[in-house]
Amino acid sequence: MSRFKQFTKWMGPHLPLYLIAVAVLFGMQYFRTLPALFIQHIVDFVLMDGASALPGAIARALEAQTVRRELLLVALVALAFAFIRLSLVFVQRVLFSISTERTVHGMRNKLYDHLQNLDYDYHSSIETGDVIQRVTTDVDTFRRFIGEQFVDVLRLLFMMGFAIFQMARMHPTMTWISLATTPILLFTATIYFTRVQHIFRGVEEAEGKMTTTVQENVTGTRVVKAFANEPYELRKFTRTSQDFRDKSMHLTKVMAFFWSSTDMLIFAQYALTASFGIYFTVSGTMMSGQFIAFLSLLGLIVWPLRQLGRIVADFSRTTVALDRIEDIVGIPDEHEGDSLHTPPIEGRVTFESVTFQFKDDNKPLLKNLSFEVDPGETVAVIGRTGSGKSTMMNLMVRLLDVSEGRILLDGTDIRGINKKWLRRHVGIVLQEPFLFSKSMSDNLRIIKRDAPHESIVDAASVARVHEDIENFEEGYETLIGERGVTLSGGQRQRVAIARMLLNRKPVLIFDDSLSAVDTETDLQIRRALAKRWRGTTVFLITHRITTAMEADRIIVLEAGEIQAMGTHDSLLNEDGLYAELYRMQTGGVDIGEGGTDNAGI
Amino acid sequence: MQAFEEETYVKKRFDRRTWKRIFSFMRPLRRYVVIVILCGVLLAGSDIAYPLINRYGIDRIIAAEDLSLLPWFVGVYILFMLVMGTLVFTFIYFAEKIQNHLAFIMREKAFRKLQELPFSYYDRTPAGWIMARMTSDTRLLSDILSWGLIDLTWGGLMMIGLALAMLIINWQLALITLSVMPLLVYLSFFFRKKILRAHRDIRKQNSKITGAYNEGLGGAKTTKTLVLEETNYQEFEQLSARMRRHSIRAAMIAGLYFPTILFIAAVATSLVYYFGGVLVFETVIQVGLLYVFVSYVAQFFEPVIQLANVLSHFQQAQASAERVVGLIDAVPEIQDSPEILARYGSAFEPKRENWEPLRGAVTFEDVTFRYSGGQTVLEHFNFHADAGETIALVGQTGAGKSTIVNLLCRFYEPTRGRILLDGTDYRNRSAAWLHANLGYVLQSPHLFSGTIRENIAYGKLDATDEEIIQAATLVGAHAFIRDLQDGYDTEVQEGGARLSVGQKQLISFARALIRDPAILILDEATSSVDTTAEQLIQGAIEAVMAKRTAFVIAHRLSTIVRADRIVLLEDGKIKETGTHEGLLARGGDYHQLFTNQFRPSGY
Repeated sequence: MSRFKQFTKWMGPHLPLYLIAVAVLFGMQYFRTLPALFIQHIVDFVLMDGASALPGAIARALEAQTVRRELLLVALVALAFAFIRLSLVFVQRVLFSISTERTVHGMRNKLYDHLQNLDYDYHSSIETGDVIQRVTTDVDTFRRFIGEQFVDVLRLLFMMGFAIFQMARMHPTMTWISLATTPILLFTATIYFTRVQHIFRGVEEAEGKMTTTVQENVTGTRVVKAFANEPYELRKFTRTSQDFRDKSMHLTKVMAFFWSSTDMLIFAQYALTASFGIYFTVSGTMMSGQFIAFLSLLGLIVWPLRQLGRIVADFSRTTVALDRIEDIVGIPDEHEGDSLHTPPIEGRVTFESVTFQFKDDNKPLLKNLSFEVDPGETVAVIGRTGSGKSTMMNLMVRLLDVSEGRILLDGTDIRGINKKWLRRHVGIVLQEPFLFSKSMSDNLRIIKRDAPHESIVDAASVARVHEDIENFEEGYETLIGERGVTLSGGQRQRVAIARMLLNRKPVLIFDDSLSAVDTETDLQIRRALAKRWRGTTVFLITHRITTAMEADRIIVLEAGEIQAMGTHDSLLNEDGLYAELYRMQTGGVDIGEGGTDNAGI
Repeated sequence: MQAFEEETYVKKRFDRRTWKRIFSFMRPLRRYVVIVILCGVLLAGSDIAYPLINRYGIDRIIAAEDLSLLPWFVGVYILFMLVMGTLVFTFIYFAEKIQNHLAFIMREKAFRKLQELPFSYYDRTPAGWIMARMTSDTRLLSDILSWGLIDLTWGGLMMIGLALAMLIINWQLALITLSVMPLLVYLSFFFRKKILRAHRDIRKQNSKITGAYNEGLGGAKTTKTLVLEETNYQEFEQLSARMRRHSIRAAMIAGLYFPTILFIAAVATSLVYYFGGVLVFETVIQVGLLYVFVSYVAQFFEPVIQLANVLSHFQQAQASAERVVGLIDAVPEIQDSPEILARYGSAFEPKRENWEPLRGAVTFEDVTFRYSGGQTVLEHFNFHADAGETIALVGQTGAGKSTIVNLLCRFYEPTRGRILLDGTDYRNRSAAWLHANLGYVLQSPHLFSGTIRENIAYGKLDATDEEIIQAATLVGAHAFIRDLQDGYDTEVQEGGARLSVGQKQLISFARALIRDPAILILDEATSSVDTTAEQLIQGAIEAVMAKRTAFVIAHRLSTIVRADRIVLLEDGKIKETGTHEGLLARGGDYHQLFTNQFRPSGY
């Protein structure tokens, strides 16, 4: 995408507003040059009978009987013009602010919306911190650019343009002389600010390193203290902190040199203008008022030039930021071109030689899985970490799509079903569920906003989390997360189950979602669920033999393949992986009949 | 992510003690401060002098039509240029020097204190809060104390100087010009306050938006599976619309402030136009002086906005100052007594030559522990472990397992009672001594950024490569480390190979073992390690526990079974204790627990 299009893409919708704002800015800068002309008018015209540099109409309007009256008129009219100019300043600021904020508002919304709709693959591959950085800092860089730097550039350009225009009207030769050093100034500033970027980055990196050191020290206090490594940590920190300080000082030297040398350059320009101005005035081609006006117009040109250099250099930063934003927006979202088919769903799940492999991986995670599950059946999936259990479940809700084979839901290939519809009917409770930083009741209500209080209490009771909630000071109104209470892993899992219960689902998947709940509670929850949701197809992914053994059927997954399938007893008899897991989990101790009974199985 | 919301700003009176303390940090920098102030005075002087050079040109050369003086004029200009260049360089350089060094000093003090603060401090204080003190607060403070003070000196001197200069040149005209001052001061403060508040609102909204993005990303999988995309978007849209409104409002207030100040300047300028013009007309003053006055008026208003900024920044910085001073001056609740420090040295200067060896016998003698919140966790707790014994601590969450470990590590000290190591109260030894004899493996392995080698060597800073490999081999980590592309030089965090939690655990194990501790403390992970890795770890545990006293917060049956002694805790009391077989045979609570939870992962 061209640079230009990159900007207009976001700014385009608000173009009329931007144009009005720019027009106001333009007009405003004309008024900016008038004070220099008023003093010229006073000195040359009122006090000395020379010509006024003010536009004819204004100059004529300022003529009066006496000098005193003329001076009073000038003072009042100058004030009136100042008022107009400053009103325009206000109008222009507000206009730019509105258009900028609207642009950024659109950008923020688009990013949020788009991020939500990017597929699971994207979300599991990103570093959250990096994306946050883009959607906050990069958006802000862009905002500052269009809201401040872009305006600054225009303002400076318009102002310099009008200043040169006014100079030229008074004395063309003097104008050339007054602009003599400006190319050098602009060039130096641009080069400088471009060059200094990498020093800047070095400083930022050094600061980042220092911050990481502190962060690791703070979050790892236990380790630091337990290992008595405080002196080591202090040395490590001091080193990074010193490095940061020294790099900053290096930048300082470079900056101090730039600002002081360009200051000298600017004063050299003043010296040049002043000397020639005096020469011309004494030799009669210029008037003292004009001389004064030149000095003040010169200020409108030379000081801003350095800023212009900085903005030019900063421009690359903005385009980098926009590129990074475009990186996100450019990825197609997962619902693009999705099927609109929304068939009724009963809960028969069929895997037909399903194979799955990540595109950039060389070996499949799941190989040739085939089985069928009847509506209402409970199937446990057990296997080692990395055997592909979760991947299998992710395929069923199309967080991932099969590479080969098909998954059918009541005979329909799930890729032919609308994704959102599918996910509304195939519920999945994750091992590490995410709770939103809202109140407990809002979290429970998340898929059914209008659910009455009774039904969320009921759901919480089934998921055995009601008592936990009641024990919080504010009960169901307790805030969760950053600004509220922190829940234990087990509590989170139970809340996640409860919130799933508000809408009945034909298919329900528990992706190891009771791993942090003790066996006793795990059992109670499963019992309560079974009673309530007869007819629902249930998939239980678990590490626990005790959980698996209760299912109608158990699938043993090993390295992406179905190693065995059957009931607890039949699998034990086979003496395969299942039996091995069973022995391992019981610690090699024969728990015997009594033990099993005690566990309530 | 760190806490998104900064504390809300509370308007407070000027707190002299806090600022005095902050200024005391600047003592080593006072030479630079003197230089900078001197530069400020000279710069303000130069700024005031500058229009006078042009006035000389106007009145002495132009009006007198005497070009012979022009070389002098140019000479003065060049001199002025050189002086300005030097001053500006010195000024910026030393101001930044103060800033960077002051920030460095404060960070160093705060970090040192953080190392000394006991564990309870970290319990109370979120990591994000500490981070903000160490980064943004020190930056803000050092900025305000260097540039802020400088702007204040320069700006103040400039305004006073200009006022004086105007009064000297022509007191009537000066008085007329300065008559707008009170209005200026009033309006400046009025607007600053409004602008500050508006910006605070924006910051608050901004952190909410960041929070929303964070949640949107962190909860992406949940959002998808629950089909919450639309509801989330609606909520976000409201948030970002509010942000837009706040931003525009802030822009309007700021957009009003700036022109208002400039308008007052325009009033002053018009006053000079009229009265100055009249004075020139009446030949009381020359044109050059009129020019000087017009310049002075413009210059006079320049620092006004800056001064108002600085003053309100000081106001803002007070909160930062209080927090930073609060951290630096925090008094650790657990401290070695002066006698102990004299004998055994501090954490930073340990006197190892005086350290007694530790065999590893541990005794809890009538220990009661209460958290500062008042909640009693242990009461009259008595326990003894012989050197070399392996103790498995078993019990529900909240039974007191972690507290026992925290007390043993002296992260906390007993509220009442004593803990004896080899028969001596550990408060009669330094904390560093204890920690040097301790090997600690946490439930979630906290590794530091750096290589695997560095992380293992964290347990013994002067470890040789052989020792590192030996420790890794001992815990069964050598094989997988060797197979990594960069072997022991693999970075453990970002940019490096992604290590699984199990692998990290093994590394943290090697880290604890490399120091050959007398006492080993192991907080077993509840889950996330698969059965095979678990067996590997298990093997490692056995290999190293034999020789030393070990306390294990045990979740795995295999660990429990193999312990010399199992301690079943309930509500801070020992419910049952004995060997696995003995306890099972007894048929009590342990038997109950065991049969209910024969499984690999957590309670």
